[in-house]
Amino acid sequence: MRNLLLANTALAMIATSAMADVNVGNPMAMTGPIPDLVAPIAAAVDLAAKHINAQGGMFAGGEAYNIIRADSACDPTAAVDAVTKLINVSNVAAILGPVCSGATIAQAESVSIPAGVVTLSVSASSPAITDMEDGTDLVFRAAASDAYQGVALAELAIAKGMTELAISYANDDYNAALASAFSAAYTAAGGKITANEAHEPNKASYRSEVATLGATSDNLALFAYYGSGGITIMRNALETGAFTSFIGADGMLSSEVIEQLGAENLTNVTFTTSASDDSTAAFGAWKPLADAAEVPASDPFVANGYDATFMLALAIEKAGAADRGVIAAALRDIATAPGEVILPGEWEKAKAILAAGGEINYEGAAGNQDFDANGDVAGRFSKSVVVDGKWSAELID
Amino acid sequence: MEAYLGYFLYLLSLLTVGGIYAIFALGLNVQWGFAGLFNVGIVGFAAVGAYTYALLTTAESTYHVGGFGLPLPVGMLLGMLLSALVAAVIGLICIRLRSDYLAIATIGIAEIIKLILKNEADITNGPRGINKIPRAWEHFSEERFYSSWPLNWFASPESWQAFFDGLPNWWWQPCFAATILLCVYVIYRLLERARVSPWGRMMTAIRENEPAARAAGKNVTARRIEAFVIGAAIMGFAGALFAQHLRLIEPTNTFDATKVTFLVWVMLILGGSGNNRGAILGAFVIWTLWSTSELLIGGGINLIGYVFQSLDTTILTTRAGFLRMMLIGILMQVILQKFPGGILPEVRPASPQVKK
Amino acid sequence: MWDAFGFEFVNFYLIPGLVLGCIYALGAIGITLTFGILRFANFAHGEIMMSGAYLTWTIMAIAGYAGLTLHPLVAMVPATVLVILLFLGTDRYFYKPFRKEETIKVVMASFGMMLIIRSAVQVIWGPNQIAFVPGIAKPNAMLRDLTGDLGAMIIMPNKHIFIFLGTIIIVIALSYLLNKTRIGKAMRAVSDSPDLAHVTGINVDNVIRATWIVGGICAMAAGVFLVMDTQILETTMGFRMLLPMFAAAILGGIGKPYGAVAGGLIIGLAEELSAYPWIGDAPLLSPGYKTGVAFAIMVIMLIVRPQGLFKGRSF
Repeated sequence: MRNLLLANTALAMIATSAMADVNVGNPMAMTGPIPDLVAPIAAAVDLAAKHINAQGGMFAGGEAYNIIRADSACDPTAAVDAVTKLINVSNVAAILGPVCSGATIAQAESVSIPAGVVTLSVSASSPAITDMEDGTDLVFRAAASDAYQGVALAELAIAKGMTELAISYANDDYNAALASAFSAAYTAAGGKITANEAHEPNKASYRSEVATLGATSDNLALFAYYGSGGITIMRNALETGAFTSFIGADGMLSSEVIEQLGAENLTNVTFTTSASDDSTAAFGAWKPLADAAEVPASDPFVANGYDATFMLALAIEKAGAADRGVIAAALRDIATAPGEVILPGEWEKAKAILAAGGEINYEGAAGNQDFDANGDVAGRFSKSVVVDGKWSAELID
Repeated sequence: MEAYLGYFLYLLSLLTVGGIYAIFALGLNVQWGFAGLFNVGIVGFAAVGAYTYALLTTAESTYHVGGFGLPLPVGMLLGMLLSALVAAVIGLICIRLRSDYLAIATIGIAEIIKLILKNEADITNGPRGINKIPRAWEHFSEERFYSSWPLNWFASPESWQAFFDGLPNWWWQPCFAATILLCVYVIYRLLERARVSPWGRMMTAIRENEPAARAAGKNVTARRIEAFVIGAAIMGFAGALFAQHLRLIEPTNTFDATKVTFLVWVMLILGGSGNNRGAILGAFVIWTLWSTSELLIGGGINLIGYVFQSLDTTILTTRAGFLRMMLIGILMQVILQKFPGGILPEVRPASPQVKK
Repeated sequence: MWDAFGFEFVNFYLIPGLVLGCIYALGAIGITLTFGILRFANFAHGEIMMSGAYLTWTIMAIAGYAGLTLHPLVAMVPATVLVILLFLGTDRYFYKPFRKEETIKVVMASFGMMLIIRSAVQVIWGPNQIAFVPGIAKPNAMLRDLTGDLGAMIIMPNKHIFIFLGTIIIVIALSYLLNKTRIGKAMRAVSDSPDLAHVTGINVDNVIRATWIVGGICAMAAGVFLVMDTQILETTMGFRMLLPMFAAAILGGIGKPYGAVAGGLIIGLAEELSAYPWIGDAPLLSPGYKTGVAFAIMVIMLIVRPQGLFKGRSF
């Protein structure tokens, strides 16, 4: 027992001693219910760190920007434990968010807010995060609140001429919140919801649910993760022909969906996501970078992962030290106007401007990333449809 | 200095969480160690205790029913009582089932409890869970607590605010950890007393030889239900502490069977079922291993990457979490085979002075 | 009331329920045999199913590289051998040491095995979903036209026909084994009364080995049928099937393979039919509670009739 603990301390020392550099904690739901969704996000986080280190690193001395990853498992218990270790043992400067909303709120309220450490969440989209800070300014997120995406999707549904639809949502923290935001906005816009049912994620079959919902309408608004039942429910709906058209949000947007279901079957499917249209300069800069590193550029929250990592580095660079107390203010500075516009990957340029005492304004691959008073970003959204066997995005105005 | 403070705070967090698990393990020890009731629904009782506590003590919220803003001890007490009540109902129906059957029934019931918490979103906020749960000690620095009784008897809200702002931000951590350790100690003393009392000896008799106990005129069913209810009340109490520690609870991942039920079982079996001290020891040992194994495996992978520079360790890093689960599984097999009675095997209550 | 059901009921509720039921049934056979003969609830059973499906996929992928396209049912055969070896290996090293001890120990050991197997699969194949067979399974045209002419159009893809036929064949083979062969009779004897069986000179070790082999074949079939139906490989699918399969085994009566088959079909049907709009247009039970159906049936059964439908062993 004691030997084990000693060995552990020794290893922990090795793990931390190499890091006189800037350390950022990155609890991610590597295990837990949505590992397949998280793996590309983690790859995007690593890619951002790689770009930063390749283009001169942090500060004048070119110190390394290290991502210390831990497993938050999408679980409050694991997230609290992981972040406790990151903050106290690995002594990180800031936390680059756990993926799930529940885990994000738990770690923030239980550990990082009391310790005065900034959390910049990659993908937590729960509306509850907006008003959880109790006067501190420590929680930010690089993904828009569900409240925004629900409205955007409702407008899209109306614009597509869907006057009635059935809703099926996975009963997890992300999809349930999104579905309720959507249904409120859709009814307010004059749409008729014929049925609104939760489904349990990860079941082997959803045929009876699909049949019951399909009896009420031809249109399905589907809120699910593609990796935990979303693909199965689409497959069951297509097999039985219960629905003819589908709309949904970014949890479903992945090339996996096309690979598994076949592009020819997805002719009437539209999913929204944070702006990922080639026509924006920021996404245009991000796409080749992601492609070069074989990171799926428009998968859910992948661009947000890159943005969050990059912004945190910019904020630390701007603050001039990896000091927990000053990151929050710097984060607002670098993300909002005024200032020279910085696009994804432009670390060298940003570093030069900051070194000269200039102002910068990061425009992210997933949106403009301007934080409001609550540390939220407003989203711009795009709609994706299948064209030539690939998702093709177009900005929604 | 800074670094040592960090290690100290991490140590406190190990004691805090280990202590909460120790209370779970003590509750399970009453059910399994004393009475031989194979309860695999720990997570259900934990969830009942945690949700009751959370709904009763949080400030009013639009997301869920209440919160009722009651004082913390009231919330904990009611969480405990409700958990006991649920156990009493289950006990009356299921207690005659034995061994594996009771195990499977309790798993099923725990899953149903979780499904109810998840689907009745109007009451519990469904899968999004309840947040801003007040944590003992730390809650005093929230305005709604320092501006009401009992704190406003001593000083004005303004001076309280100034007082709390003056403290280092981790001031509540030692207090919280100490409170939990005190709870562990009190429950331990009470259970030790119960164990060597006539009641405890009767439990052992029933567990070891039920027909004989029945023949001696003991009411076996009633004793079993008692043990089940007492154990569940302790688990409900631990659940309320769990909610305080996390400050957000949601039904799916917080109350995941492998991470609560299973871990508590491993703790009890490792420590020594039937032995209260064993249960506590097992809880601290397993939680420390569980928590530090992440650092251990992370360090190990770094070491491999450092020694074999050409090897690409990214795939190992992304899958480290699974390696950790695997090691826990293997560790458990080793413990089961090498320490059949646990680290501290049971001492018979009839002869408490005999040392093994 | 039954007249009111159109063929929508058969196609969208009954057939899917039976497909799910077949998979539960095959898994439950293994569980009920282990429970009856080795006297413990094997929590690793679902993971064995899952790892079997992964092995099958790997064999198909390897054959694919060599230019061969194997049907899952063919690739299943070598995978079955591996799964049986896995079963026998875990029994030898992890379950056998506890055979004379309290049940809890071996149940804990199987729980540990569950973690080990699942995380091993996650480390080797990765946690991501893998497409088993991509695309959408269209209904079998012949069956549709044939039944359509009769006025009762049955919409059923080929994969479901394979699953039904496969299940029927396995159940027939199993009943032959249990009723006609020496080892099958010995298995039944041990399940009914281990002491008596031992006294009559039955070699219990052989019976245990046979149990793992039969359980392994059924688990394998259940795993492959499951991925044939969902067309997705996922590392947690075994665990998700585990509790419904326990429910099926208990419903049928522990130690009773036919009971497990009946129990599996009932649980599968109950899960799918719970979402049928029996009253009005809304599902009878919110689909969010679908998982609870199996648990509720299981708990009620344990309370009302713990010996199960087929008078299995009860404690």
